[in-house]
Amino acid sequence: MSTIRAGSPAAFWLALPAGLWMVLAVVLPVLLIVWVSLWGGQGVSPNNPITFDNYARFLANESYRWLILDTIGQAAMIMAITGVLGYCIAYFLTVKVTSPGWRIALFLAFVIPFWTSTLIRAIAFVPFLGVNGLLNQLLISLGLIERPIQAFLYSRLGISMAQVSLYTLLASGPVVYMLSSIPLALREAAMTLKAPPIIVFWRIILPLTLPGIVIGQVLVFLNVLADFITVTTVGGNKLAFLGNLILLFYEGSQIRSTAVVSVLLMILMLVGVTVALRVVDIRKLGS
Amino acid sequence: MHWKTRSRLTGWVLGTVTIGFLLFQWAPMFTMFTLSFAGETGGTTFPMNGVSLHWYRNLWEADLFDDFKPPMLRSFLLALACSATTVVLSVCAAQAMRGRFRGNGLYFYLLLLGLMAPGILVGFGFAILTRLLGIEGSWNTTAYVVHVSWALPFGFLTMLAVFNRFDPKLEEAALTLGATRVIAFRRITWPIILPGVIGTALFGFSLSYDEYARTLFTAGSDGTLPLAVMAQLDRQLTPELYAIGSVTTAMSLIVIALCSIGFWLRARALRGRPA
Amino acid sequence: MAAPPVIRQLDLELRNIRKRYGSFTAVDDVSLKVEPGQFVCLLGPSGCGKTTTLRCVAGLEEPDQGGILIGGREVTGDPPWKRDIAMMFQDFALFPHMSVARQVGFGLEMLKKPKAEIAKRVAEVLASFEITQLAERRPGQLSGGQKQRVALARAMITEPRILLLDEPIGALDYSLRETVMLELKSLQRRTGISFIWVTHDQNEAFSLGDLVVVMNHAKIEQQGPPQDILSRPRTPFVAGFIQGNNVFHGKAGRAQGGVLEVETPLGAFGVPLLDLATPAPGSPLSFSVRAERLIERPDESVPNRIALRCITVEYFGAFRRHVLEGAGGAVVKYDQFGALPQSIREGEQITLGWAAENGVLHRATPA
Repeated sequence: MSTIRAGSPAAFWLALPAGLWMVLAVVLPVLLIVWVSLWGGQGVSPNNPITFDNYARFLANESYRWLILDTIGQAAMIMAITGVLGYCIAYFLTVKVTSPGWRIALFLAFVIPFWTSTLIRAIAFVPFLGVNGLLNQLLISLGLIERPIQAFLYSRLGISMAQVSLYTLLASGPVVYMLSSIPLALREAAMTLKAPPIIVFWRIILPLTLPGIVIGQVLVFLNVLADFITVTTVGGNKLAFLGNLILLFYEGSQIRSTAVVSVLLMILMLVGVTVALRVVDIRKLGS
Repeated sequence: MHWKTRSRLTGWVLGTVTIGFLLFQWAPMFTMFTLSFAGETGGTTFPMNGVSLHWYRNLWEADLFDDFKPPMLRSFLLALACSATTVVLSVCAAQAMRGRFRGNGLYFYLLLLGLMAPGILVGFGFAILTRLLGIEGSWNTTAYVVHVSWALPFGFLTMLAVFNRFDPKLEEAALTLGATRVIAFRRITWPIILPGVIGTALFGFSLSYDEYARTLFTAGSDGTLPLAVMAQLDRQLTPELYAIGSVTTAMSLIVIALCSIGFWLRARALRGRPA
Repeated sequence: MAAPPVIRQLDLELRNIRKRYGSFTAVDDVSLKVEPGQFVCLLGPSGCGKTTTLRCVAGLEEPDQGGILIGGREVTGDPPWKRDIAMMFQDFALFPHMSVARQVGFGLEMLKKPKAEIAKRVAEVLASFEITQLAERRPGQLSGGQKQRVALARAMITEPRILLLDEPIGALDYSLRETVMLELKSLQRRTGISFIWVTHDQNEAFSLGDLVVVMNHAKIEQQGPPQDILSRPRTPFVAGFIQGNNVFHGKAGRAQGGVLEVETPLGAFGVPLLDLATPAPGSPLSFSVRAERLIERPDESVPNRIALRCITVEYFGAFRRHVLEGAGGAVVKYDQFGALPQSIREGEQITLGWAAENGVLHRATPA
């Protein structure tokens, strides 16, 4: 018994507005993209014939094929870095920090930037990474380098640094959640069964946090694949990934090509999510 | 090595990694903040050539291309509308999920889809939709619809989590005391879920206020603040951009701080003041 | 040739253990000796330090002072995985991602036993605990009783010197508890492994323990065989904690012939001194009398008598308990076997008494 009866019409009517909204604003547009990507002919009209020519033309271009691989490679790299980094941070914050005050302070320092604008954070990397930027000055004053490193800004290195900074929280958050839901008694039980800490980690902690790792990796994967803001701001239009290509085609009013790249991006994402779902059941995370 | 030494060593290594990352995460924002106070002749990088409020003054007085005031107002209004809509829709949707209507599993994934679908695809797809329907895109119509679809999944998940922790026996108690379902919801449920609702509203506001990818495709000719910032970045990077960045970041931080203090005060009030 | 004398090592020895958390003292000067194969129950109210003591033995907490010896070996600074113990946790702490068989074999895996041997031992242990049919299940698919068996099998498979049990049946349904208690007791007898069982339930402690250790406020109040503690509580806390005692507080009077006169608000009573030194006259002290040892309407030969008024009569297990009130609102309990006819009605005035030898004088509490 609660303020809503199970299976009542009221529940259905309450659910309807949000559902319709999502269908209209997300599902329908995404389906439209798929449809448009199959349009033959010239103009923007629903009467165009259906064809796979757009895909054939796009995939025939070798540099585009490379771009797809490059985007996947970039995502894989960022996933690896944020995965390790995020796990270390999550483990430190939930397990190693014992003082509640420090834990809250560090958590806030970790999470707060997430609530500020990604665009602004990406722009902030420009003065940080530049030739006279903070990072170069720091390295010079520490005596680690003699002349500023040009390659920080407008390079893949710079993009990767910005992406790691932006997305580590995504990799770490679900792990924090899973780690903090492991009862202390489980570790202790393993220890009284003669398992030293390293074994406790590999046999108990890691398997129990695996769903968190996978969710985090999915989030990073999706975000890096679709990221075009960091690439534009920190990469200075010198580099492009699939996301930038979508924008480029769209600004050139090449609707069909935009749709083709979008669908390819979608397929990559679907494959990624499907693989992840094979490893863990996302629904269990909520329970 | 002694096991305690090893454990402590792991702690130090992980701590160094964490602190290092936090510094790395905050350093760019700190740089931007510092440079926003650069002198009049200062550029977008060090040296600053003095300390001044010149760029903030510029920001305030500008009235042409680089006038950020109208887009800022638009962003603010849009974020307010998005926040309000998100609260209503996600409270309804989460309450509906408690009523386990037919197809609620599928419904859950439908809402989650908005979280997974990248902004660039949603924005582009919605742009096609409006074009086919012959609708002119604008920040307060098309962009509004898309913004809500972005904030809604976050609000929905927040409210689901809030209802998960909510004890339905409280409602049962109210119902056995003669309250109708509507009264029980308004008098018992609503006050208890209120912190979660405020959280949802915050999510709705800040997600909309900072949204870029979806807006880019759907806002039409009058852009929001992120669009204006990006346009200015394309033209020329000036410390003025750092100033606007610092202002918005500071605003986000102030809102977060105010809400945290609010929650803390509420929690203290509920606990009752210790003698 | 004479065989060398066999020195029987104690299974466990605690030497003046002390543990503080900030300004809170959790365990204060606790010493304990556990003979091989002994069943020890740590009994006390929640927060009395019994669980912390157990965790110190397990190595999950490190005492600030004092020493711990397991099997005669000093282990005070050793981590849990280097101690010859196993532990059963209150809510069993089963690993949610491991099957029952995997879980039970975990301890042997950690000892780096060959795979074949582990499989064989696991099969044996599962069979002996009658859970073979559960081997492939996950903890989420088990009932409370089944979880308890799995946790026990997991702990016992390595044949530790000591098994530590932290409220091991507290999470079970009430109806299951008695059966499980009997099984555990016979398991302990069969294997000869020392059990240290932490509980707040005196029925558990008294029916299971060879040695019962009563703790309160981080200290051991009294330790001994169950019948000693039941018949001769040494402190007012122990007397009050054990059901069915009337505790009287008063001042020492004159001692004569091994009987001490005690002045209480209810009157003066004679209490045998037993092995205690004669306290200084006027010093505060206490004694107890078991509720079933009281006599109704005693004759003149009974020296200790109180005039009371019966407030309520209620059934307390197999007993009929009378709650009576004396001078100044002091409450006295009188228990009678429930099957006997009721002889006192509510509201009735009555005199109760007891034979002098049934009074139990407590150790003087340090002021």
